[in-house]
Amino acid sequence: MTILVIQILNSFFYAAVLFLIAAGLSLIYGVMRIVNLAHGALYALGAYVSAWIVGSAVGHAVEGNLGLAGMLLLLPLGAIAIAAVGALIEPTLLRPLYRRPEEYHLLVTFGLLMILEDVMKFVFGRTPLSAGAIMDRMGSIPVGRLMYPTYNLFVVAVGLAAAIGLWAFIYRTKFGVILRATSQDRRMAAALGINVSRVYVQAFAIGCFMAGLGGAVVVPAQAAVLGLGIEVLILAFVVVVIGGLGSLQGALVGALIVSFVRTAGIQFFPEIELAVLYLIAAAVLLVRPTGLFGRA
Amino acid sequence: MEQRNVDRRSFLNQLGVVVGGATAATAIPAMNPASAQTPAAPKGNIPDAPLKFGHMTFLTGPGAVLGEPSLKGHILAAEEINAKGGILGKRKIETITADEAAGTDANVKELRRMKLSEKIDMFTGVISSGNTPALGPVAEELSVLTIFVDGCTDFLWDKAVPNPKFAFRITNIQSADGVTCAVAAAQAWPEAKRIAHIHPDYSYGRNAFDHFGLAFSKLVPGTQVVSEGWPKLGTTDFTAHITKAMSSNPDLIVSSVWGGDYVAMYKQALRYGMFNNAKFASTIAFGVAPHAIGKDHPEGVIAGVHANYYFTFPPGNRWPANKIFVEKYYKRWNEYPNFQSDGAYHTLYMYKTAVEKANRLTGGWPEEEAIISQLEGMYFETAAGDLYIRPDNHQGYKDAVTGFSKNVPEYPFQILDPNRMVTIPIRNITAPPHWPKPGHGHNDPTATYNWIKETWPQVA
Repeated sequence: MTILVIQILNSFFYAAVLFLIAAGLSLIYGVMRIVNLAHGALYALGAYVSAWIVGSAVGHAVEGNLGLAGMLLLLPLGAIAIAAVGALIEPTLLRPLYRRPEEYHLLVTFGLLMILEDVMKFVFGRTPLSAGAIMDRMGSIPVGRLMYPTYNLFVVAVGLAAAIGLWAFIYRTKFGVILRATSQDRRMAAALGINVSRVYVQAFAIGCFMAGLGGAVVVPAQAAVLGLGIEVLILAFVVVVIGGLGSLQGALVGALIVSFVRTAGIQFFPEIELAVLYLIAAAVLLVRPTGLFGRA
Repeated sequence: MEQRNVDRRSFLNQLGVVVGGATAATAIPAMNPASAQTPAAPKGNIPDAPLKFGHMTFLTGPGAVLGEPSLKGHILAAEEINAKGGILGKRKIETITADEAAGTDANVKELRRMKLSEKIDMFTGVISSGNTPALGPVAEELSVLTIFVDGCTDFLWDKAVPNPKFAFRITNIQSADGVTCAVAAAQAWPEAKRIAHIHPDYSYGRNAFDHFGLAFSKLVPGTQVVSEGWPKLGTTDFTAHITKAMSSNPDLIVSSVWGGDYVAMYKQALRYGMFNNAKFASTIAFGVAPHAIGKDHPEGVIAGVHANYYFTFPPGNRWPANKIFVEKYYKRWNEYPNFQSDGAYHTLYMYKTAVEKANRLTGGWPEEEAIISQLEGMYFETAAGDLYIRPDNHQGYKDAVTGFSKNVPEYPFQILDPNRMVTIPIRNITAPPHWPKPGHGHNDPTATYNWIKETWPQVA
């Protein structure tokens, strides 16, 4: 029973992280029709920046000056930094390519992935960075005879808040209306006087912010290591294939499915843990080629 | 002669397991290890064309924290040799590098490119056991002298290149890793019966799982595997694997997760209380660059170094070659070496020594055949101790080593406790030359697996 509870919590934790990444990936595709292969690298960069900020703050602050709240407030700085990076990338690298075939998008974002990997190694070195002080400060709660880190619950809450916030933003604000209009028909939106270029920068920056936030919240629980973004990028693609590329609900449901299946795989049939995920993705593609929530 | 009902202590004594105590460093006159000695003047005419070496290692990705020290060891040795005029005083070393993270197929292409268009004289490096079995046959086919630094799977010599001519390997054979870990664990925690495993899902993890399991069950009767976790290489979320291992109520958790993956794993395991509820033994936890392990790492666990080398052992002046190597490495790179640094550094000196010996016999720049015949059977002094290149399979063997983690004030990271190092003579834990290989009379994973199964007694 204890194990069941903890494995369910583990699944929610991983689903929260996957959702943050997949939602950004999906948003960017939904609005701009760009499959951003560099998304995982942006997630990793968010992890590095946050770990670096928290690490240097802990290193310099006189013991006790920087409370838990202080450290938690520093975390989103990583996400903001990635949003800024996104706002730079879109007009310089992506804008010239919108009229070109998709292969160009894949090539450029894949190149960007390689460049970002090298930048992280060059700037932060190859030694893993940690923001573990936050997790240690929050302690663990006993679950039966075992324990569960309190911080992981915080990450689940962040994931949930991000899902609600993003939904409200897209479906309940004027900017959301503009965003959806641009996504449905870019030329019509432009004809109606919407500044499409500005919408694109904003959408890309928000997508990057989500990736950076994913990295920022995950780093106190793990560590910022080189290649951090590779595995989650692949899983995020499985998420959006299952959920439907471009769909927010799809990202949420997909993240939950992938995370729970992965945990069940690890617990009960470790030999085929990965295969099961791809089988589910393949089954979804056969029955609903656009994903559970995708539109053609 | 069958041995039955041997007790554990006497069998461990037979294995020659030594738990090392550090002696206080005393003033000993400075000594010169082989790598620092100046050779006699070369015979004959030596061309002064530079020697071109290809070095492949993980420069990016989570493997870099384990692999980049290999390149640093290589560069340090090359700089030292070049500062003295090069090999045989004439031929300086030029190195071209390649990133092993490109993937096995790309690595094979890169080796071909290095030989065919860059015309390298020797190929070295390589960290992953997934890569050496693909690169070894290509090295043989291209006739390029190759000394792998790592990628130490038994499979390379058991199956992929059973009769090597051009390929060598300097780090300890992989089966020694799991066996060393099992011997140390059996000695420290003989009451552990319920074993949980967490290993990366590829050849290294499988090899560690097989050999640990076999050796440990020989040394501790009545053990059972209560949980298996096979995280993908490169994963950083281990929460489900940790929970699964803990849920099986193990006495001992064994892992061969390495590099950046291990750093992420131990930090998660700490917060789940994994180290409070069970003993922990790793084959390779401290194999990374030493400073990657924080002081938050649990103390008193078996934190293996791939059964090869740790920079604090032997301590002080007990083995001057190590003291001198660590000082030089620190001075050059401002960090401490790992076992890959030791392997890559001494690869070059081993090559240099082989060339010098061959030169004394034949004069001039020796033929590759002559260099190879010098490497075969060579006994060589390294920072990690005496290294022996077995002629039958071109594999380097040295006494296996592991230890227990400890925080000390002298280092800003956690180290292996110099007072609790475990060393085992390598010939006691590895199959002897010409022991049947898999597919020849048995189908066990490795020759060593079969040898242990057939010849070790089951302790009572």
